Amino acid sequence: MRNGDSTHQEPQAIKASPPLRTEPLVEPSSTPYKELPKGPVGRSERRIDGPEKVLGTALYGADLFFGKADYFAQVVRSEKAHALIRSIETGDALRMPGVVAVYTAKDMPGTNRQGLIHRDHPVLAEDRVLYRGDGVAIVVAESERAVRRGRDAVKVLYEELPVVADFDDALAEDAPRLHPDGNIMGGKRIRKGDADAALSASDVIVSETFVTQTVDHAFLDIEAGIACWDGHLLTLHVSGQWAHEERRLTALALGLPMEAVRIITPATGGAFGGREDLSMQVYLGMVALKHPGKTIAMRYSREESMRARHKRHAMRIHYTIGAMRDGTLTAAKITVYSNEGAYASTGPAVLRKAASHATGPLRIPNVYVDVYGVYTNNNPTGAMRGFGACQMAIAYNGMMDRLAERLGMDRADLWKQNLIHSGDAVTTGQIIPIATAVECLDAALRQYRAKKQHDRPLAPHERRGWGISVICFGLGYGDGFPDASRATVRLTPAGRLEVYTGGVEYGQGLLNMAGQVAAEELGMPFSLVDVIWADTGRTQESGSSSATRQTYFTGNAVKIAASELREQVLDIASKLLPVHPHELDLHDGKAVGRFNPSLVVPMAKLIEEGRKRGYSLEASGIFKPRTVCEDFDTGQSPRSFITYLFGSHIAQVVVDMETGEVRVERYVACHDVGKAINPQSVAGQMIGGATQGIGMALMEEVVMDGGVMRNANFTDYILPTFRDVPTIETIILENDDPGGPFGARGIGEPPLIAATPAVLSAIGNAIGVAPHTTPCNPQRVWELLYPDDAQTPYAARLTTAPPHALLSK
Amino acid sequence: MFLQPRQVAEALEARAKYGAEITPLGGGTDIVVVLNRQSTGPRHFLDLSRLENYAAIRRENGCYVAGGGATFAQLGRLEVKALSQAAMTVGGAAIRNAGTIAGNLGTASPAGDGCVALLAIDADIELSHATRGRRVIPIHEYFTGFRRTALVADELITAVRFPADWRTAWYKIGKRGSINISIVCCAIGMSPRGNVRIAFGCVAPTVMRARQAEAIIAKDGLADASIEAAAQSAMKEVAPIDDHRSSASYRRAMCGVLTRRLLRELRQDAPRAAGRAE
Repeated sequence: MRNGDSTHQEPQAIKASPPLRTEPLVEPSSTPYKELPKGPVGRSERRIDGPEKVLGTALYGADLFFGKADYFAQVVRSEKAHALIRSIETGDALRMPGVVAVYTAKDMPGTNRQGLIHRDHPVLAEDRVLYRGDGVAIVVAESERAVRRGRDAVKVLYEELPVVADFDDALAEDAPRLHPDGNIMGGKRIRKGDADAALSASDVIVSETFVTQTVDHAFLDIEAGIACWDGHLLTLHVSGQWAHEERRLTALALGLPMEAVRIITPATGGAFGGREDLSMQVYLGMVALKHPGKTIAMRYSREESMRARHKRHAMRIHYTIGAMRDGTLTAAKITVYSNEGAYASTGPAVLRKAASHATGPLRIPNVYVDVYGVYTNNNPTGAMRGFGACQMAIAYNGMMDRLAERLGMDRADLWKQNLIHSGDAVTTGQIIPIATAVECLDAALRQYRAKKQHDRPLAPHERRGWGISVICFGLGYGDGFPDASRATVRLTPAGRLEVYTGGVEYGQGLLNMAGQVAAEELGMPFSLVDVIWADTGRTQESGSSSATRQTYFTGNAVKIAASELREQVLDIASKLLPVHPHELDLHDGKAVGRFNPSLVVPMAKLIEEGRKRGYSLEASGIFKPRTVCEDFDTGQSPRSFITYLFGSHIAQVVVDMETGEVRVERYVACHDVGKAINPQSVAGQMIGGATQGIGMALMEEVVMDGGVMRNANFTDYILPTFRDVPTIETIILENDDPGGPFGARGIGEPPLIAATPAVLSAIGNAIGVAPHTTPCNPQRVWELLYPDDAQTPYAARLTTAPPHALLSK
Repeated sequence: MFLQPRQVAEALEARAKYGAEITPLGGGTDIVVVLNRQSTGPRHFLDLSRLENYAAIRRENGCYVAGGGATFAQLGRLEVKALSQAAMTVGGAAIRNAGTIAGNLGTASPAGDGCVALLAIDADIELSHATRGRRVIPIHEYFTGFRRTALVADELITAVRFPADWRTAWYKIGKRGSINISIVCCAIGMSPRGNVRIAFGCVAPTVMRARQAEAIIAKDGLADASIEAAAQSAMKEVAPIDDHRSSASYRRAMCGVLTRRLLRELRQDAPRAAGRAE
């Protein structure tokens, strides 16, 4: 049921590229952490969850079924993109052998509402469906076969309504209203300086409209889980990425007190934001409530997973940028329409992030940004790695390429001239104390040029090109949203160090991050660390595993907790040794005298003594920094995000000028992560993000046609394979963040954000026409090369561009 | 019902008895996908994967004769360039170890890479019936419509015969480097006597040949002008559609590009290949 990737066995793919380095390149920092970590921080310690995942013994959602489930449940999903429900006939389904029950919205005990920001999405449709995938009914049966038959036997009578398929449909005057307030979900505005005046005073103005596609998260571990209601407590084991929020939302939808729900996240294979919205938690919970004492199991097929889940926002970005003849940027005017799909999901936050990242790390004195979210009858769009910032990175990087060409300047020079430096402000007005965009670009360029000579000779129909991207990313929720992580650390009688976090490990390396920080602080060997995670019954809220925030937030919370525990341990040691606690240090699992190294007490002894003397040997920490809400009218804020990350990628491609096929030949990724707590994990995130970004640049696309998804499977939703991705040459810069744990920032999203524009830039450099639409699959590249032959609807899309986007001087 | 005979004769009897009610199963690489997606797929199967001598490929009078159970992995090792390259672009390693040539011909998808390659080398298809015996039909008569073929519901595809000495060329355009579904694919074969076959996938309801383009080459040879004329003709002969994989105009243009590119490749290979053949 989990999808294996058979490309692992293709020897050609491995031969084609040099062997993968296990250790990334680490560049010396210009602001080194003063007390160098002596323990596990900064080392590529073996993954805590590595052995069980490699051996196949880790239990993912679908592995929990065997021998445990009493009943299986399946959701009947809407077959219409927009329709009224006239009736739901369940008689045939109930007569199927093995079918136990069929439930509809009428049977839902609570509010029947879900949604991370607006509670606008009925868990089971009440009178209307808004996308082809909305849940309509739940069938419960004794076996998976019976439940599938039951599901197919439920007859829903619809009265079809006109389908709002795209932006233009939604904004038409006579468009059907999808939500009470109309089809515009909301927006975000930035007003900095006077962009109109600055544009008219500029020597050069360049305009372009970028169209980005809908992308699916395509995590391999499809949604699955089990639930049981024992009369007091509803226990859910469901793959997710924010256990505590899942608990709150599930309780709300089911009308239960929050305390009556416990969420335990099993091993989870990938999320990328795709597990932020609830998947099956409420469905499972509702069925469990109806059948006390029974264990209910549910799993989606790949098709159901793709049809039901939210997606990345497709955006249409009208971008106008002005510059002086010497390359100095003067103004930018940006209008963005974002396809929200049927429900808000995390859309409002995505819009705000898109607006605040509309000019990335560029220093532009005058900026107007208007972002609108538009409801359609497509899948809801919400969180996905990049979260609005990656679409904008495509746009501002694309504008820099166009501007460099118009000005006849070198792209790297134009970038360096306009990148913010430490102490400069980004578009929201926030001053960035340590801005290392230039350093990232320089390091990437050095690495790229050092190995340039290995290029293979080209065929007559091929062209080679290379491209640059530079990005910045504000981590955490930011924008005044309450954002906190909590952690508990505990020394057990057996001499082990336990770390408790509510964060979810879905493959990114959270457990090692938390464990290595705690072990470092307490001077313990990493082999003695256990991490207990994402169980609302045992761990405290640590926020979502998203927004590139867990290293910074949970890392800090663990460090705060561990440093308090450290004080306890040193206090115990000072009772056993004739020295003050300040004269003791913890390392290698021992308390050692700072000035007299012959004074030694092993940790086991300290724990034993501590327990005898009534020490708790446990401490908790909370990390809750403040951010300031962006001003409603101007979008300005002194501290919209807690800190910013910078990165730069370089891609080299070969394009077949006749067929439009693109092959990525070389790839350099450089990010400043502050401090790499586990360098191999950081490099892994960079390689994974670059791969996902290459997929977004070249092939991944959810094809919606009148509200119907045409490729809800991995036959036609095309993801990159090993053959499509060269060795990703990773460079980790370490310029400490003053507020991060051991100087660390984070790495989750930026590699994807930087990857897509780097590949697009390389394509533009190779073929001489800069791409404006993603993905650049062979057909789109060919359309760029031969616009007269292509009957592309692109020109038609431009007609609704605001007037300023059509300016050109 | 799931039958798993060991002898071809048993399989033919079962097929003759149950006809369209039973679905022959080769590697299952098409059927399993259908079964996973919908609960209303076929119910009864005749599994051919355990048949003796059904997967063998032998050489006979300058031809290869491949049993219907020959897998893409096996075909990928043959010295017929277009067929081996086509076979090696089907799916990933696991799919190529399971998928069979009879399955590819039986499904008869317009995107069937193996079908396109065989169409370009004038393969013959052997269809067998328990009592009526064998009949051999040329591949260009085999495909009769969208996923429809000359195979009668009580027959099985038992073998495919194709020449070993044709010069061939192959190109497939997809969206990624492997495990790729064709957007357009093209195979061109040239017999030792100089007959040219130009075959395409994904540009019509069935895999198809561009016969007028072939006639231009037959008449005027492989000069630049005639290659260009053939390419122009191929673009007119194909009948592609717009779908979620690509646009018709792109597919049509690619038929021209690939015709030109592969004919030039064959012309370039000519002296060396001819030298080997003498």
